[in-house]
Amino acid sequence: MHDAITEELFRNAISAIGDEMVLTIYRTAYSGVLKNIMDYSAALCDGQGRLVAQGLSLPGHLCSIPVALQAVLKAYGDDVAEGDIFINNDPYDGGMHLPDIFIFKPLFAEGKVIAYAATICHHTDVGGRVPGSNASDSLEIYAEGLRIPPLKLYEKGRPNPTLFRMIERNVRLPGRVFGDIRSQLAACEIAARGMADLVGRYGADGVRSLMVAMMDYSERLTRQCLLELPDGEATFTDWIDDDQIDVGVPIPLVCTIRKRGDTMEVDWTGSAPQVKGSINNTLSYTAAMSFTAVKSVLSVNMPNNDGVFRPIKVIAPPGTITHGKLPAACAARGLTGFRGVDCAFGALAKLYPDRVFASSDGGNTGLTIGGYDKELNPFIYVDFISGAWGGRPWADGLDGNTCMFANMASFSVEVIEAENPLEVLDYEFVPDTGGAGKFRGGMSQRKTWRMLADEGVLQVRADRQTHRPYGLYGGGPGAPGLNVMNPGTASETKLHAKITMTLRKGEVFRHELPGAGAWGPALERDLALVARDLRDGLVTIEAAARDYGVVASGDPPAIDESATEVLRARLKAERPPLPDVAWEPAA
Amino acid sequence: MSGVRIGVDIGGTFTDLVAIAADGTVTTHKTASTPQDYGEGIIAGLRALVADRAATVTDVLHATTVGSNTVLEGKGAKTALITTKGFRDILEIRDLRMPVLYDIGWTKPRALVERRLRLEVIEKLRPDGSVSIPLDRDSMAPVLAMLRSENVASVAICLLHSYANAAHEQAVAAMVREALPDVAISVSSEILPEIKEYPRTSTTVINAYVQPVVRAYITALDARLRALGIEAPLQLMQSNGGLASAEFAAHSPAHIIESGPAAGVVGAAALARRLNEPRLITFDMGGTTAKAGLVENSEVLRSEAIEVGGGVMAGSRLLVGAGYMLKLPAIDLAEVGAGGGSICRLDAAGAPKVGPQSAGAEPGPVCYGRGGTAPTITDCNLVLGYLDPGGLVGGGMRLDLDAARAAVDRDLAGPLKCSVEEAAHGMLRLAAATMMRAIRAVSVERGRDPRQFAMLAFGGNGPLFAAGIAGELGIRRVIVPPLPGVFSAFGLLVADAEHHARQSIRARLGNADPARITAILEDLAAAGQDRLQRDGFPPERQVFQRAASARYAGQSSEIEVALPDGIVAPNQIADLFAAEHERTYGFRAPANEPVELMGLSVMARGLPETPRLPAAIPPFAQQVPAMRRAWFPHDGWVETPVTDRAGLSGMRHGPLIVQEYDATCLVPRGVTVELDPFGNIRLEQA
Repeated sequence: MHDAITEELFRNAISAIGDEMVLTIYRTAYSGVLKNIMDYSAALCDGQGRLVAQGLSLPGHLCSIPVALQAVLKAYGDDVAEGDIFINNDPYDGGMHLPDIFIFKPLFAEGKVIAYAATICHHTDVGGRVPGSNASDSLEIYAEGLRIPPLKLYEKGRPNPTLFRMIERNVRLPGRVFGDIRSQLAACEIAARGMADLVGRYGADGVRSLMVAMMDYSERLTRQCLLELPDGEATFTDWIDDDQIDVGVPIPLVCTIRKRGDTMEVDWTGSAPQVKGSINNTLSYTAAMSFTAVKSVLSVNMPNNDGVFRPIKVIAPPGTITHGKLPAACAARGLTGFRGVDCAFGALAKLYPDRVFASSDGGNTGLTIGGYDKELNPFIYVDFISGAWGGRPWADGLDGNTCMFANMASFSVEVIEAENPLEVLDYEFVPDTGGAGKFRGGMSQRKTWRMLADEGVLQVRADRQTHRPYGLYGGGPGAPGLNVMNPGTASETKLHAKITMTLRKGEVFRHELPGAGAWGPALERDLALVARDLRDGLVTIEAAARDYGVVASGDPPAIDESATEVLRARLKAERPPLPDVAWEPAA
Repeated sequence: MSGVRIGVDIGGTFTDLVAIAADGTVTTHKTASTPQDYGEGIIAGLRALVADRAATVTDVLHATTVGSNTVLEGKGAKTALITTKGFRDILEIRDLRMPVLYDIGWTKPRALVERRLRLEVIEKLRPDGSVSIPLDRDSMAPVLAMLRSENVASVAICLLHSYANAAHEQAVAAMVREALPDVAISVSSEILPEIKEYPRTSTTVINAYVQPVVRAYITALDARLRALGIEAPLQLMQSNGGLASAEFAAHSPAHIIESGPAAGVVGAAALARRLNEPRLITFDMGGTTAKAGLVENSEVLRSEAIEVGGGVMAGSRLLVGAGYMLKLPAIDLAEVGAGGGSICRLDAAGAPKVGPQSAGAEPGPVCYGRGGTAPTITDCNLVLGYLDPGGLVGGGMRLDLDAARAAVDRDLAGPLKCSVEEAAHGMLRLAAATMMRAIRAVSVERGRDPRQFAMLAFGGNGPLFAAGIAGELGIRRVIVPPLPGVFSAFGLLVADAEHHARQSIRARLGNADPARITAILEDLAAAGQDRLQRDGFPPERQVFQRAASARYAGQSSEIEVALPDGIVAPNQIADLFAAEHERTYGFRAPANEPVELMGLSVMARGLPETPRLPAAIPPFAQQVPAMRRAWFPHDGWVETPVTDRAGLSGMRHGPLIVQEYDATCLVPRGVTVELDPFGNIRLEQA
């Protein structure tokens, strides 16, 4: 047994190692997906493969590391030696989707494994039918790229040349992939040094028992937070517009939350069967989206580790979109993750209305433009556009802020133009797109690109064009998302939410994110807030009257308070109140 | 030049002044800051310090928080931003990231320019500086009309790709200047000619936002100095640790935003040269936070950006987004929320925690008797006998030991089921662990092994913790300079005039043109030369340091390496880069991996005529009790000798307490202590 002070000192020290691993990847990574978008995570697991400490990184990776490590341990059993490095990306053997490559390094003390350093990075390309390996319309995992089962990338310190050559021949940008793998290895090395220090200080057995204590600590905190919440059960259904294959066929996600005492169940029974398109989740990804929503309503942000997982059970029947079976494609399952978070938040909002926001923008839009220049050198531009937050029970939703499930950064416009044959024409908020409410939803952003190379492939994974971000408790939904080719010209064409198509020189593609849902009735919105939005140009004079019953005119717009009072009274009498969950605005 | 040189450091709580006379005599003055009008406190301090010899003052060197406070409090000028059409929301969208996870309550800092005043002009450049859309001068008409009708006081101009071609920004600036001659103008291609529109926009906007406020502050202070009879020019500390003229600071205040914390590290670098300790970790602990910095080769290390108002790091410097992005070189400091006032408590699961909540100066620690009820780090130090109940600041303030003990017992020892002493000591260890994270952030995270460094400890609380932390990190030697509580003000007195110039370029080093590299370095040096000339430094007192930033092609982070004098070959830069990459991250890429040059920079430094560091600072003699009971782990309560700095003679062994006017230095068992010829306390791990 250790005293409380020693346990806290250890938590501090091991969390610092996790953060130093994350920082090492940040500083050494080659691909923009890692550096700019931070689509990676790092962690330490104990000798049994349980998550002990996760560095600050992507919520979407929260539950994936122990699952991938268990697959490695299952494959190799006792065949783990000093100097081994394991690699894995197969969604059907511990992985998430093929671009996410896991690297594990066993750390030894006194001749025995004491811990595993774990890293997961989203790689720019892992082969398959489209650049970026990210298409949402692949029909099977086999089209999505190179599947790497749990294997030794290094054996007792020696690289596995067969595997290196296989990877090199099967990815489009091997230099970048190997560069990023080097950065994962560097992070594991940082962990090895840190763990050696800890063993020096606390002894091998001391470190083992302190890791157990750390997991127990998170479990205690999690249970206490759950106890604070009233018991209850609620079910919520949210929708993905479609999977790009069965166009126009909506895909339901159903989440039931059962809270009893110090435990919780997050049950996805009732969600759609797995789909043809590549948006099927692994169970670990469904767990990540469940935990992200649940953790956001708990009062304490405890260290992420195995202890958090113990009181919260995630149920996802195999063969559904929340738990795909081979050969379901899954490259673009990020979308299902985002919608799952929205859906779990919806269920939580029914149980705990004062703790949950209305639907955010529906998750980021993934966009890839790739191809070859005149010398046949490949270029791949991967970007994620987000985010607008849902209105909160106490405040407006945020404009221009990353979504809860993925703390990603935006790409610099100047860097996009400097590194790719693309011109960016605008990047700005779109007025009147946030759901109208007492606390409005965040505004959509618009981003527009012009193709400068002869041709390339455009892929877009967007959603919420037909099923808008819902509003809560009288608040309206956000505006639907939009994809347009050649906007403002004779050849303007509205496109589907999910796209895989050729983009030719001079063509212009525009994406608009959905706006976020609002919280509370719009007619109750404080006039000072409406005035601010009018002044900012985020709400137009027409929308102020239509949505908020506010009469304004001039530049800057000035509110006529008495006319507003009259209009609000009339609208209140005429307009039926919105339901607790609103998918369509007031008529 | 012989006369009095004065350093003035304004902190949140205190304004510190240090004066050094020509004969090396040092006088100090500590006075409460006057936030409504900081100048008032300064003038009061100056009056006390040099009223009778104002005419002999040769330098007034000043570090101020006026820039960062203006941003934090949202009290800047009414500011507009002019951008390329379609991109006015860059300032507010920022880089999207947030510093917290799983927190629905997160709120972004409000943009410094409201959307109505983010104005657009029709034009667009390409990354190589060529024109995609020519500047449409007619599109400026509504912009100018808005500036006028909204009575805008300051304008930031940031157009896309202006780092490659400043012509459009210059034309827009000229039109604004012509139409509104009284409006302050900040142009991005002058302030930060670098790719990436968000950091450039944000930095330019911060400059515009604080400029009228800082200019007014400097002008008023200057006038007051003259009224006191001080004729010496006012100089200000920049965030990068160099001094700048009042005129430069008033025009480009973005450079002096983090002026305050920089001074202490600059002082450390000067001491490093004097003491022949080329590698120092600086450890500055005050009432609410602790800061760590690094001195290597007797030079301060800088980071390329800071977040204004980002608050203290919560464990990781990846947590960005809490403040305002300022991408200008600043002394690299890691700050954590652990200071004397940090509150000690147990969390919901019974785990002990220290900070980041602080009792501040009001109500303050329990022992201050001003209504504080939560035990703090200062209370723990008092309970263990490390601090003198007879009082802080030379007995100016008595401390209530019984109240502190009762609070530690009730809130900590009771629930932890341990003795009051164990609980208090445990909290100090946790605080030390938090502070070690700051030290690791500036050392281990940059590939530096702290064991190869000495520690310089200052700030009111630094010397209390220094020996313990150094022991944990394997740092053998700790130096506590004279006047540790006002060391930042002292640092001002040893700083040099510095100007940094940087040019972004992008070239593979394999086929880069050596002549172009040389030409850029020469241009940058010429710019520095010009500025130093204007600051009054003749050529023989100018030195230049050149550096290059590079990365492996495809990598996204850069590393800066110092360049030798003379003509530099591209492959030489590549070699320097690979060596530094290996040192920092433990690996280098295969030799055929191309290295990309991303930027060149030149630091121009003006050297003073005479050495700025006095030969030695005689310690103030002071009445202290001879012995005090203090508690140490393993030993329990021990009658511990107490001395003042002047009373340290020969080598002594811990446990020992060195008690001074403005700080207390704790020497645990196993540590030896002596005074060096310069008046520094030196602690060595046995």
